[in-house]
Amino acid sequence: MIRTSLLALVALALALGTALAQMRAPPASEAACEEPTLRCATKVTPAFGPDGTLWLVWMAGGQISVASSQDTGRSFSPPTQVTTKRLNLDWGPDARPKIVVDRKGGIALAFSIFRDEAFNGQVLYTRSADGGKSFAELKPITANNESQRFEALALDQDGTVLAAWLDKRNRVSAKEAGRKYEGAALFFASSRDGGATYAEARLAHEGTCECCRLGLAFAAPGRPAVIFRNIFEGGVRDHAVMTFTAVSTPGEIGRVSNDDWQINACPHHGPSLTIGPNGTYHVAWYTNGKARKGLFYAHSRDEGRTFSVPVALGRLDRSPTRPFVLSAPAGTVMVWKEFDGEKTSVQMTISRDDGQTWSPPKVIASTSDTSDHPLLVSNDKQTYLSWMTKADGYRLTAIEDQP
Amino acid sequence: MRFRFAGVASLSVLIASAAAFGASPALKPFERGTWQGVLRGHAGRPVLVHFWGVTCGPCKVELPLLGQFAKDHPDIDVVTVSADLVPNLPAATQSMLDRAGLSSTENFIFNDGFVERLRFEIDPAWQGDIPRTMLISRDGTITTIEGSAEIADLEKWSAQQLSKH
Repeated sequence: MIRTSLLALVALALALGTALAQMRAPPASEAACEEPTLRCATKVTPAFGPDGTLWLVWMAGGQISVASSQDTGRSFSPPTQVTTKRLNLDWGPDARPKIVVDRKGGIALAFSIFRDEAFNGQVLYTRSADGGKSFAELKPITANNESQRFEALALDQDGTVLAAWLDKRNRVSAKEAGRKYEGAALFFASSRDGGATYAEARLAHEGTCECCRLGLAFAAPGRPAVIFRNIFEGGVRDHAVMTFTAVSTPGEIGRVSNDDWQINACPHHGPSLTIGPNGTYHVAWYTNGKARKGLFYAHSRDEGRTFSVPVALGRLDRSPTRPFVLSAPAGTVMVWKEFDGEKTSVQMTISRDDGQTWSPPKVIASTSDTSDHPLLVSNDKQTYLSWMTKADGYRLTAIEDQP
Repeated sequence: MRFRFAGVASLSVLIASAAAFGASPALKPFERGTWQGVLRGHAGRPVLVHFWGVTCGPCKVELPLLGQFAKDHPDIDVVTVSADLVPNLPAATQSMLDRAGLSSTENFIFNDGFVERLRFEIDPAWQGDIPRTMLISRDGTITTIEGSAEIADLEKWSAQQLSKH
């Protein structure tokens, strides 16, 4: 009798424990809960399709999922799970799944996983050809098995998908030759079939910082541009921009600014790039260099060869982080996060003169617990803040027109 | 009655074991307020606090050097804090600390999902880059080394601290 009661009690306790674990993540987690649903996501990336549909890809509960919204984020379709099993997803601060939606409605995705216990990464990709109902089997973006992380995707006008990422394959030959290998390399591959298959990976630039997100955009048809934290001479981890001369031909790099951040560390804090219809490059970044510290903005009107004098963003005593810049129908918009010791707020500023002057920063959202990076996304009419927060869930906030 | 008590006690142990499964008992959780506790707990002594993470390349190189430094300088309190933001890390964290000879130092692991707040408590200017070392002298003066520390600099600081005593 006692044994039976005890067994029942144990079974009940274990069942309760399992149920609780499914519902709620431990307080240490960045996630609100542990299921693969949007509410439990830690990283959410948006993209508008050509028909105005909003697509989200997110990571939650060790899975990658996609859903769409026809009413700009008020309601979402039932999610499609892209991964078929729980994966050791790259949860680093600058990692997130990527999405592009082409003119035919094809959806290309890419994301990183940790493929071993040494935290070497692997970039996986997939595509949906049926409007997000199903996704092809996940494939590695390169056959090389060393380490890849921090992938970025961008879509050219002709439907070509370009993927770029940070790759550590060349540390093997360096080690064999007895040379010290610092950082990583910028690699890329293009896809002519909307992200169903990618050409062989190629080197764009050796000697990049290994742990910061990239910014990737098209300057003109066939001419992608990428911003990354480079390792300049003396171990200085400042930003560089490379504009390709063709989709498969890397170009020279231009230095965004001389911040003089000499550091042998992982800043976990990458830059943002957008290119306006007139070809102006707008960039935003974080540095802690000798020359300047904090968040900064600059623009280039010569395809990234030279940049304007950096302009500081945000309040230094409020730890400004995660800048994002987007060329949008109403102007060039920038957002970033600030933290006052209790709450995180998203600050927004807009420029209507191609980055010459900016409106006073305005708080457009806030939250009292941890949050994803603030991102911007535009359809042909309106720009939105896309922001995942642990306390308040996902929100898509229209950025009102500023006087 | 006694059986029932024993049964309930066993159940408690079972549940507690299940909860602790996978976590290393040697790693202390670093939560809201922990930083002030560290400062109070070591007040008046020279302390080296090292922030690192298992996914950080430069940290992997630096950690064994720091292990040797801790061994060579028993008069300096060495504290490590795993500030990586990848979940489910206690086992990997402990394994790297053990290999680096840092099993017996005071070792913490970030255990609060609101990392902005944790970092803000430590240093509002810190945006999460690791490795990062904070040298706290007997009078509470903090010197921060961003990125990998040069062991020669640590030796110099250590010698200064001990000579003042």
